[in-house]
Amino acid sequence: MYYIVGAMMNRGPSMTEPIVIEHLTKDFSGFKAIDDLNITVKKRSFMGFLGPNGAGKTTTIKILTHLLYATSGSAYLNGIDVTKDPKHALFDVGAVVETPEFYPYLTPVETLAYMGELVGLSDEDIRRRTKEVLETVKMTEWADKRIGKFSKGMKQRIAIAQAILNEPLIVVLDEPTTGLDPRGQFEVREILTELKKEGYTVFMSSHMLNEVQDVCDEVALINHGKLLQVGKVADLVKSNDFRRLEIKIKQNVDADVLKKVASLSGVSELEAVGPSVFVLSIHGGEDAQIALLLQLISLDLKVVSFKESGVALENLYMSLIQESR
Amino acid sequence: MTETINVEEKRSMGVLPSDIRQIAVVFKYDVLKYLRSRRLLGIVAIEALVLLLITALPPLLGNSYPSNSDDFMTRYASFTNLLIVIGATLFAGDAIVSEFQGRTGYLLFPKPVKRSVLLAGKFIASAAAMFLVVLVYYGVALLLDVGITGGFSTLGTESLLLALLYSVAALSIGYLVSAVMKGSTGSLILTFALFLFIFNILDTVLSAGGVKPWFMVSFASGTISDITVSPYPVDVIRSGVGIRGALMSNTYVPDVGISIAVMVVYAVIAMVLCYWFFNRREMSA
Repeated sequence: MYYIVGAMMNRGPSMTEPIVIEHLTKDFSGFKAIDDLNITVKKRSFMGFLGPNGAGKTTTIKILTHLLYATSGSAYLNGIDVTKDPKHALFDVGAVVETPEFYPYLTPVETLAYMGELVGLSDEDIRRRTKEVLETVKMTEWADKRIGKFSKGMKQRIAIAQAILNEPLIVVLDEPTTGLDPRGQFEVREILTELKKEGYTVFMSSHMLNEVQDVCDEVALINHGKLLQVGKVADLVKSNDFRRLEIKIKQNVDADVLKKVASLSGVSELEAVGPSVFVLSIHGGEDAQIALLLQLISLDLKVVSFKESGVALENLYMSLIQESR
Repeated sequence: MTETINVEEKRSMGVLPSDIRQIAVVFKYDVLKYLRSRRLLGIVAIEALVLLLITALPPLLGNSYPSNSDDFMTRYASFTNLLIVIGATLFAGDAIVSEFQGRTGYLLFPKPVKRSVLLAGKFIASAAAMFLVVLVYYGVALLLDVGITGGFSTLGTESLLLALLYSVAALSIGYLVSAVMKGSTGSLILTFALFLFIFNILDTVLSAGGVKPWFMVSFASGTISDITVSPYPVDVIRSGVGIRGALMSNTYVPDVGISIAVMVVYAVIAMVLCYWFFNRREMSA
């Protein structure tokens, strides 16, 4: 099948990956929110985009979705530079940025029809896909109610529905579970898993590290607008030798105990988190953990439990963010 | 330039619509907004009240209707400006800013639609709503004219055409205000105040200073009612000597041809500036 597109002069040189960000910079009156950012998202991969508040995640996503203009650099979506030809670049893209508001006088069915007509779906396709996507986001029973009084969670689900209405090649999501209650977060996470199964290329910023670790194949970490690391989640976690450990002992964790533990080699960020529990950080893999455990026992500490604290990706995240400060 | 692209692996459905097709889509849903909002209902209610008062008050006060069909229309035409100002405020005053402040831009702007297309679709919808209001107003007035005086006012029809042109100019200015302002309320208030106070104050001050404000769109809108007066009125400049020195009392009348040009220029410049502001505006918050 061939498709004729006019004004395609902004295609990148042999771009085969759905999202290619090249030397992207955004300067807000002297403050560089993004600084020479380079990221490539592979076809059918689910990339998590991580970073602390103010790192530049939302700014990047807003440039990708034509909500902000880049100061310099390019952002190719399916080979078309969105900074130069947003209409064609965004044709095959669905996006949920922040929590969008909807036109309160429209129902979900009418909203989806509006969005579908804008992207060129036929009436028949709109009817069929509306039914499907409302089922996917579990909003079928609200299909004909005005959106005006919907909760934030319901609006977020409608936002995801409109993003996948025309089955775009790329889905861009900006913290899709932020602000939702635990049930809402669970439901959105289920939808994300579904998107992954269906083979969408997804680029998603998130604060929820466990969510990223569960859903994403790849992850890009940024801070101060600069890329810190990018790669497969499994590889990054494996390469990270920074471990946060939680240790429970039979004795009380007093100043004397903390002083002894702090003197052990490789131990940092030691703190008591309960009457008999303390956490610490070490560098190294399993061997370092075994060595630490033996040292604790040699200090006459009666170790009840000894385990990694937090998810592995969180450890990596904390270590990289710390280094980039 | 066109280029053939192999999209075998594309999953997306549909074909990217033309700008014209997308303008029609935006127009359709903005018209739906007006039909479902209280704004159109509100202005229709005001319109009905104005028509009722102008028609019912003269006999209630013991006055008879003018026998001349053009004179009959003058009363109705003199309220058209106010109706258009209210319409411009309601249909244009927050048309652009609401997409930013109301965060609906997060839904609309990431779609493959040019800002110029969104602007065109919205503006045409606003103009359609405004035209509906103006046409209903003149339609009822002209029917009453035929029914009561037995004549049809050609000048009333010319007044209608000028009213439609002024509607476009007023909407363009409203759109410009809404593209510049940060909040919907401020934008609505400024649009209303601009036409009702600021422009009128400028007209008055300029006239008092002996300067004919032919270049003011509000002054040009005076043609809407003036044109129903036959013969067309002329400028009246009176001067004399009072206790505090020389006095000047000027009554300027807008020239129809110049006023049409002024309204067109305001409409075009305001729309170009509106597009410029809208296109460069970012969803930064």
